[in-house]
Amino acid sequence: MHWSKSILFASAAVLAMGAAAAHAENMPKRIGYVTNYATHEWYQNVIKGMKAHGKDLGIEVEVQDANLDIAKQVAAAEDFIAKGVDVLILTPVNEEGVVPLLRQAKAANIPVVLEGNPVKGMTTMVAICDYDTGYFSGVEAGKYAKEKLGGAAKVMNVGLPLLSATVLRSQGFMDGLKTIIPDAVMVHDLDGGGNPDRALEVSSAALAKNADINIIYGINDSSSLGGLQAWKAAGKSQDGLLTVGTGGEGLAFINAMQNEPSYRIEAAMFPEKEGFTTIDAAVKLFNNEQVPEHIVSPTAPMTGEDWKKYYDYDGTARTIKWDAVNALQPPAKCMKTSADLKK
Amino acid sequence: MALPTSREGPTGQMLSAAKTPAPAHGPERREWTEMSELTHAPAQRRSIGGQLLGGSQLVLGAILAVLCIAISIAAPQFYSEPNIIAILRQCALVLIVASGMTMLIITAEVDLSVGASLAFVGCIGMAVLNSTHSLTLGMLAALAFAGGVGLFNGLVVTRLRVNSLIATIGTMMMLQGGVYLFTREAVQNHNRLAIFTDLGAGYVGAVPVPVILAALIFAVAYVTLRFTTLGRYLYAVGANEKAVRLSGLRSERLKLFGFVVTGLCVGVAGMILSSLMNAGQPTAGRGFELTVIAAVILGGTSLLGGRGSLFGTLLGVLVLKVIDNGIIILSWNQDLQMVVPGIVIILATYLDIIRNKANVR
Amino acid sequence: MSVDFLHPGEGAAIDTDVPALELRGIGKRFPGVVALDNVDFTLEPGKIHALMGENGAGKSTLIKIMAGVYGKDAGTIRMRGREVDIKSPRDSLKEGIKVVFQEIALISEFTVAENIFLEGYPTGKAGSIDWKKIRADSAALFNRIGFDVDPAARTGSLPVSQQQMVEIARALAHEARVVVMDEPTSSLTPNEVSLLFTVIRRVAALGIAVVYVSHKLDEVFEIADTVTVLRDGRHISTRPIGEHTNDTLIQDMIGRRIDNLFPRKRGAPGSKVALSVENLSTAKKLDEVSFEARAGEVLGFFGLMGAGRTELAKAIVGYDPITAGTITVDGQRLAPHDTRTGVKLGIGLLTEDRKSEGLMGELPVYQNASLASLGAFARLGFVDKAKENRAVQDYVDRFRIKTPSLFQQVKNLSGGNQQKVLISRWLMRGLKVIVVDEPTRGIDVGAKSEIFALIDRLAGEGLAVVMMTSEMPELLGLSDRIAVMCEGRLTAIMSREEATQEKILNAAIG
Repeated sequence: MHWSKSILFASAAVLAMGAAAAHAENMPKRIGYVTNYATHEWYQNVIKGMKAHGKDLGIEVEVQDANLDIAKQVAAAEDFIAKGVDVLILTPVNEEGVVPLLRQAKAANIPVVLEGNPVKGMTTMVAICDYDTGYFSGVEAGKYAKEKLGGAAKVMNVGLPLLSATVLRSQGFMDGLKTIIPDAVMVHDLDGGGNPDRALEVSSAALAKNADINIIYGINDSSSLGGLQAWKAAGKSQDGLLTVGTGGEGLAFINAMQNEPSYRIEAAMFPEKEGFTTIDAAVKLFNNEQVPEHIVSPTAPMTGEDWKKYYDYDGTARTIKWDAVNALQPPAKCMKTSADLKK
Repeated sequence: MALPTSREGPTGQMLSAAKTPAPAHGPERREWTEMSELTHAPAQRRSIGGQLLGGSQLVLGAILAVLCIAISIAAPQFYSEPNIIAILRQCALVLIVASGMTMLIITAEVDLSVGASLAFVGCIGMAVLNSTHSLTLGMLAALAFAGGVGLFNGLVVTRLRVNSLIATIGTMMMLQGGVYLFTREAVQNHNRLAIFTDLGAGYVGAVPVPVILAALIFAVAYVTLRFTTLGRYLYAVGANEKAVRLSGLRSERLKLFGFVVTGLCVGVAGMILSSLMNAGQPTAGRGFELTVIAAVILGGTSLLGGRGSLFGTLLGVLVLKVIDNGIIILSWNQDLQMVVPGIVIILATYLDIIRNKANVR
Repeated sequence: MSVDFLHPGEGAAIDTDVPALELRGIGKRFPGVVALDNVDFTLEPGKIHALMGENGAGKSTLIKIMAGVYGKDAGTIRMRGREVDIKSPRDSLKEGIKVVFQEIALISEFTVAENIFLEGYPTGKAGSIDWKKIRADSAALFNRIGFDVDPAARTGSLPVSQQQMVEIARALAHEARVVVMDEPTSSLTPNEVSLLFTVIRRVAALGIAVVYVSHKLDEVFEIADTVTVLRDGRHISTRPIGEHTNDTLIQDMIGRRIDNLFPRKRGAPGSKVALSVENLSTAKKLDEVSFEARAGEVLGFFGLMGAGRTELAKAIVGYDPITAGTITVDGQRLAPHDTRTGVKLGIGLLTEDRKSEGLMGELPVYQNASLASLGAFARLGFVDKAKENRAVQDYVDRFRIKTPSLFQQVKNLSGGNQQKVLISRWLMRGLKVIVVDEPTRGIDVGAKSEIFALIDRLAGEGLAVVMMTSEMPELLGLSDRIAVMCEGRLTAIMSREEATQEKILNAAIG
């Protein structure tokens, strides 16, 4: 498969990048980050990763929260520009609002790194590959289904059709699953709103309609857990069920993998690592180095006890194991992106 | 109205002109004949009969029946046992809070903070459960917190005289932000208490536990509103607070009662939800207040106070949840889960106006 | 040609022989009710024509047809002999009919002048509004009708009486042939009423036909040239005012004779003091008011608008806070600002504002009646509805409350019957002192006598009745003693025998 090749290539690139960063001529002093929604665990861990890496490199990382409000984001970013930060990092609330910010930053000669979502006219963006993340967890799910579920795969997708990222995850999951089990079907394609109580509610109805569902896929942990809780509330046993979550941004999935017999696979996205990678990209831009338009932050499916490779968990907080996560080799390019959805 | 009218509206005028005004509602006409024949008519039978057939319930009952039949024809899984149980369990959460909310709205106040409170209560309840391993203590903590939120709302409204819409939006914001001060992440279930899991996911016979709890709370609220002095005073304070005060009653306390009861209902619902989700979720309950208030209004309870019934609220909850469920069962686009209830609320209210007009004729 | 108030020269050309407005055979039906049946109504230019009748007689329907708010079902309307078709308020305004409704319909944030020209601002060059002209025209207009107010004042800052004048002025600002005034004096003081009458006379003198809707006899006798009486949607009589006496007018309005509006059946009051008020003061109005009321006595309080009657009533029963003084009911002191102990000790208020402070309009008659005494029908918090209904039915029968059932929403009852329901509320509770504030406000002449009889009966049953009123006949007809207030102070207390209108008014002026 050409995959192994590209992973090899990418790993070489990352190693080279890491080496360059370690011996950088100049380090930015201050980096300003305007996040989208700091109350979400994903962004909290992205920030954690940024601050941790920033500290290692001697960079002060300042964070402002847009709280899903583009006006707030613009104001906060303008403040950073006025203060004269060395690099600006943004998680765009929406594309339209951020485009003028890019222009302002350029005028002030401040490089900008985007996290998560692309915007027209950007220099670079650090993001995971949503499709790939779903794809590889789908492959793992296929293996599991073949071995433990008698080769049947009837999927309830607790999805979020509003966002292209989450649609890509679901598509990737099904495509990956089909590489192992060609006649896998998505029995129900739900809008769980990405939040647990809504996911629980819609899943209840879907499970009542289709009793043959044996795989629950959630586009984030709240969705997969909502689906699983609906299953449990319907009084069903978890034998013969596989639950697959996506994100791994908080503690919920660790708890579930420890306690729920069906919760076997988690597509981890390592938000800490995304933060880490973003800081690296910022340093490069500061030094006028060439960077790809999309810098991929790695993801990996974790099955069974795999998560312990990447995280320490003391019952109240988790700590990322940098060595293990940094050893992951992200692809240079995503298999599919939101651009492919529009075709 | 295009022009200002004199103090008495056209209806009042023409009715008094006729000397024997036509009753505004069908059931009342029946009650009148009954009363004139027999002053000590069995009050209970008449009330229930009047409730079942009267008010906007007739329209709503018809809508519910049409919905159920139509969905069943299109998708027979709709009336399968697991689906009916799933619907009832979803109804239970809403009905518990809507029972309290009906009382509160009857007093002409409203509480928009119930959704935010629901999430917070779940987190607090779960945290206390985790540290004490006692369902009783967890439940008490949840009730104390949610009741406290209700008390706070009530005091702000009755003492500081802040409009309840504004006051409870304020509380909602405080709770939405406050829950993140309490916990950034979902509070996971570390207590592993079977009895706690049963609270949301358990069954007694074939009936889910939340449904039984909802039925109990509904019954208590129903009896209170229909048959007790307290219930009558709640209607009275909503119909005319000044009149109630002039009659030597403490109108503030009645409203306070409505707020606290609504809060306590949120406490129960919050614990059930956290049991169902096996975690205290700070992000839960978004939009829950709108579902609850929509159900109450759909059931014919007036936001102006003094008018409404729990039976209507029950129908309102059923209609909303059947729509919610039916759309998934039919595999329709889920965006319709917001659109259809919106249409139904307007339609039901309109049909009710038509029915009232027809009755006056 | 039209009458433009700002150019009165043209008004002189009005032909006084042709009726300004002529309604013939007007019929109007509402579902289940005939509101107007073959009603004729003719208005002469320059004359003031009173339109009278009880509530529900059809006065409001008739003026709403003139205003284009309702369409007529039968009959014809002629303006100066020409048949017209009035289908909307716009048509009516175009024909020069201006109706000033009871409720003020001005924009309170606008200036007086802006309100006057609301229907069409004069524009200057380039289409911009000519504010200078608006202000000047308004001032000229006010000058002609003898109304003294600053056109630049914010409308909301004016007292109600002046806002009413603004409404009249506004009606005149454009071409007016007919001006209709719907119970314009219901919230005015005597001074304001006489000012209003001056204005009305000046308007009539301009050749405009004025319709004056009222049920106050004395006002009609003072101002009207002609009186038309409606009853139950039918035209009863149209006569010059000179041909009427009080009795004939009442008889036309209610269809029967009332021999004695104030029947007195009760005996002399006892000597036991039921209510004692000492040095009562409130933050805004009352200033050291002291008096006693005895069991079985009607103590009438008179005062002009703003004298503090309602404030006194609300303070006595504990509804409003007080700053000083004591209230004692049957020997026991009341906790201030607490209606709960007040009702417990046996003092209650029959409010002047039934709709906003008395009735629970949406709720049925029986719940309105039993509100204050519900506890007596309950065991362990559960209402014995049968017992309660029996008790209410008893009052409905005794007071002849006209309602199709105990379950009728009280808002659908007539004013008089609503008042009886509220009186029942207090009698079911069992009071020692009842404070009645304007007990016949908004109540028909026919029903008034029943309310008077009820008040007489209350006193006869041993209650002390404290009655606040602005109606002189009511005061003199019902009271055992008369107290007069002026600007929050008690200025006189006199027995019925020594009281004269002159004495009372002198004390009321202070």
